[in-house]
Amino acid sequence: MLDLLAQAAQPEFARPRIDWFALSPELVLLSLGALLTLLDVVFAERAKAITSAIAGLGLVGVIIPLVAVWTRVNDGDVLYAFAEKKPGATDPVGLEHYVIDEYAIVMKILFVLVGYVVVLLSTNYVAEGDYWESEYYGLLISSILGMVVMASARDLIGIFVALELLSIPAYLLAAWRKRDKLSNEAGLKYYLMGVFASAVMLYGMSLLYGTTGSTLLVDISKAVGGRESSSIATLGIVFVAVGFAFKVSAVPFHNWAPDTYEGAPTPVTAFLAVASKTAGFVALLTLVYVGFWGRGDVYEPLMWFLAAASMTIGNLLALRQTNFVRMMAYSGVAQTGFIIAPLAVAGNGDIADAALSTTVNYLAIYAAMNLGAFGVLIALARKTRSAEISDMRGAFHYAPGLTAVMTVFLFSLAGIPPIGGWFAKFRVFSVLVQDDSVSGYLLAVVVAVNSVIALYYYASVARTMWADEAPDGDLTPVNVPPSLVAALGITVAITLVFGILPSVVGDFTDVSLLAGG
Amino acid sequence: MEIVVFFISAVIVLSGGIGVVMAKNPVHAALFLVQTLFGMAVLFILQHAHFLAAVQVVVYAGAIVILFLFVIMLLGVDKAERLDVDPIVGQRLVAPLIGLLLFAGLMAVLVGATEFTDWSWSARFGDFGVDTELNGRPGAEAPIATDRPDVNQLGERLFTDWVFAFEITALLLTIAVVGAVVLARRITGELEPIPEAEDLWVRSRPVAADADGDDAVADGEDVADGDDAGDAADEKADA
Repeated sequence: MLDLLAQAAQPEFARPRIDWFALSPELVLLSLGALLTLLDVVFAERAKAITSAIAGLGLVGVIIPLVAVWTRVNDGDVLYAFAEKKPGATDPVGLEHYVIDEYAIVMKILFVLVGYVVVLLSTNYVAEGDYWESEYYGLLISSILGMVVMASARDLIGIFVALELLSIPAYLLAAWRKRDKLSNEAGLKYYLMGVFASAVMLYGMSLLYGTTGSTLLVDISKAVGGRESSSIATLGIVFVAVGFAFKVSAVPFHNWAPDTYEGAPTPVTAFLAVASKTAGFVALLTLVYVGFWGRGDVYEPLMWFLAAASMTIGNLLALRQTNFVRMMAYSGVAQTGFIIAPLAVAGNGDIADAALSTTVNYLAIYAAMNLGAFGVLIALARKTRSAEISDMRGAFHYAPGLTAVMTVFLFSLAGIPPIGGWFAKFRVFSVLVQDDSVSGYLLAVVVAVNSVIALYYYASVARTMWADEAPDGDLTPVNVPPSLVAALGITVAITLVFGILPSVVGDFTDVSLLAGG
Repeated sequence: MEIVVFFISAVIVLSGGIGVVMAKNPVHAALFLVQTLFGMAVLFILQHAHFLAAVQVVVYAGAIVILFLFVIMLLGVDKAERLDVDPIVGQRLVAPLIGLLLFAGLMAVLVGATEFTDWSWSARFGDFGVDTELNGRPGAEAPIATDRPDVNQLGERLFTDWVFAFEITALLLTIAVVGAVVLARRITGELEPIPEAEDLWVRSRPVAADADGDDAVADGEDVADGDDAGDAADEKADA
């Protein structure tokens, strides 16, 4: 009977060969998310005590397959998750849709670590705010799965599906504080802006597919790269890049960020500000280095504009904020500018690899210092119940440890040596100068000026915490739960190590996309 | 023949689209959307994408617009939005300007990119997408083979090249359902107070008498919610 069916199908359907080993991190994450959701169904209330522990342990567990795969791709090898046996060929040929190379693995490890720290930040916050715990962690894990998929996706459809998988849980999590109107507003704004960005991006993707006849980035690269002006492909590239500019909250597509950050639960804000933004950058990097490679004339001016505008406008608006979360939102916009800046010179073949590893390096440090700053805020808010900068007055007098740690993060964000953020900014600056072009030098000047502006508002928060008197002379110490201590320990360690021993960790982020693409 | 069908359905699609934006009554807008979607389905058939056309009618015109109508009806049709005040000053002037600019830009790009060698009517509209090459490359019509039904081809692609994206989409739908249920679930009964700073402080100390028994009552029907806040409130009461 089966034979008959097989014969009836014309032509014979060939199942693609699946490399389960290469896919193992994704599968573990998927099982973790399913487990968390099922635990709630089976054990109901009794499961609540362990959900966050399982989410955290599971994310640590995902590191094992990730490192195992990493050892296989470390020396420039590339794994294809799916392979197809073409008629006539003896060996199956890897499909370019889903590629696991060193760049992908490094980004996946970063996403999983960020996810772990976010779980640590969430543990007490979610339990004490009586939010839906198991669904919270289930959605968080699936969003991380979306990011992990994004790191490997190398065709337009895969990138789009990964983007939706990481965004939709994030829309929901932003509105997680259901009783709070601000949180509802945060979720709604984020959702509407995100959907609008997706629509613009899809239109760009359809134009790219229409002109190149393929959704694979390698094929698109062959079709659009090297040709002299082709306006439709240009329009496609711009629209797709604009779609991701929303995701990374680059000016002029940043309007959603402050309101969403302010309204969302603080751990979710940290997740959006770090993980979601990094995922947007991963997609941008993949697109620029694999898909639009050779069309530097199109994306370089665009990235230049986005970088310069984000840095300047983000910093100027951050200066005026009185709420720490809103300030961090605008500071995040400015940091986006710093991270995009190397892409403005990425088309120069000599420094393309340097620009890529600079960006990846910045993303890793940015993740540590930004998560840390939000971690300190979450710890302080256990006492103050507020995110206003004025309510952080005199924190040194009742929480000296938290204040010192916050100072490290703020100075790192500002880029003061010898902390991690300084190393990241220095590399951006040097890559811009290495390009040896007018636009490169100009952008380097913008970077330098903005670093100085940024120092003002970061330092003024630190001054408020160290020098002012505590409100009402209330010196009851802050009760910091162990999970927050762990999160702050991890982030401080990474921030400092990147600054003091950059050569040790710099290797981690030295990746290349050009060899594979 | 093809050109006639194309123009008729293009008129249907465009007039429907304009109707969606211009209609004062939201129900009319939703119905104009059905018109647009039907027109698109005809365009799909014109491109030999029969499966897409069927899906377009069943899913979009059938399910999604009906859902729109449900929501409009539930929210109340008579509640008209106040249109005489601009939330952002100058919005109503700037919006059409930007729209026109975008339209002009898109048209310029499209016309500029289309390199007609032969400007006669038949060359331009006779064979869609074949003669009007964009930048010397054929359009995206190449992979469609006409000897097999497009349903077979679509299924084959879905389960070979895009099997991973397909499975991820399945996960995405599950997540959307879980999240929507959580967000849409109405909290009934007394709300637990969100803990104040003192509650957190008290919680971290050993508590003499744990008031666990009250939790089930305090939480009421919302079982996935409020356990820890309940603890905190109880302990405060004890103190």
